[in-house]
Amino acid sequence: MVGMSLLRSAAAFAARLGPLKAGNNAANILARTIPRTNKVATRWGHGKKMFVVKPTNYYDRRFLHLLRYYILLTGIPVAVLVTAVNIFIGEAELAEIPEGYEPEHWEYYKHPITRWIVRNIYDSPVKDYEKVLAAIQIEQEKGDMRLMQLEVRRQMRHHGDGPWFHVATPDKGLIDNSPKSSPDN
Amino acid sequence: MPNDHDKAVYPEPPRQTPAVDKQTALPNPALILTKLFYYTVDLPVTTFRDTIDSIRSKNKLVYYHQKFRRVPYLTECQEGDFTCYYEADMQWRRDYKVDQEIVKVVQERMKACQQREGHSYQQNCTKEIQQFNEVTKNFQSRYGDLGAYANAKKCLMKQKERMMAAQAQSA
Repeated sequence: MVGMSLLRSAAAFAARLGPLKAGNNAANILARTIPRTNKVATRWGHGKKMFVVKPTNYYDRRFLHLLRYYILLTGIPVAVLVTAVNIFIGEAELAEIPEGYEPEHWEYYKHPITRWIVRNIYDSPVKDYEKVLAAIQIEQEKGDMRLMQLEVRRQMRHHGDGPWFHVATPDKGLIDNSPKSSPDN
Repeated sequence: MPNDHDKAVYPEPPRQTPAVDKQTALPNPALILTKLFYYTVDLPVTTFRDTIDSIRSKNKLVYYHQKFRRVPYLTECQEGDFTCYYEADMQWRRDYKVDQEIVKVVQERMKACQQREGHSYQQNCTKEIQQFNEVTKNFQSRYGDLGAYANAKKCLMKQKERMMAAQAQSA
């Protein structure tokens, strides 16, 4: 009983030492136990909300989003176009060439998109062939010209009368014959 | 539906399914499975194909196989006429492709025959095997070791070597 009054006076003294701190009430110090903060929740729901510290995935998600966006921006129209062409126009069927008919150069292909490209974008294979033949002919003529030039040079040098090997001499009207015109001088 | 293969070239062996001789009252599981497959896979696919074909049949496109004119061969060209050389080379390349396809077709026939006959193929497919051997021997002798950069001139030189060898052998 005396100890209790001693303790109580000691608690009052400690409370006076730190009066502003909460829980330092004189009555509280004596009866203070470990405070239970989870006493408030009566049922367990999602648990306590945690702030998880992890590195950012903002840049990764942004990259993947942009990747999908730019791929599908042209990917979806192209896929829709190709599907529509395959369903509504369809591939060509093989047939015998009718008598007296010369097919256009795009009528030798099966898929309609290939036919369109060959018709509108590419040159006809006849034109390509002729382009190659023209290049070959130009080079052939160049080579033949060079060989002929060498041959002509050889002949002119050999016979001595070719215009390429003339040495220019002065005009004979410029010769002054007066020193030799009178014999005894 | 697309055309079936040519039945004259690739004949099918006679069917050997036995006559139905049911001895139990139980249902045949094979029959059940075939009917299941038919209703779940075959019928939807066929109807899909038929609807697409009916949509497509309004504009039918046709394509042809191109026929090329024959031009003078390399042996009929003047010397130094490079345009003639080029045309002969292109013709030789087209003929090379055609010969490759011929060999493939003959090989296909022999393979089909072997598949059909089973273990007795050596005796039943003699015509196909003999045709294949002949075609491949000729192809090898004409285009054999020309390599990837083959052209008409190299093939002509090979032919010259062949003729020289034949002459040396006969002499």
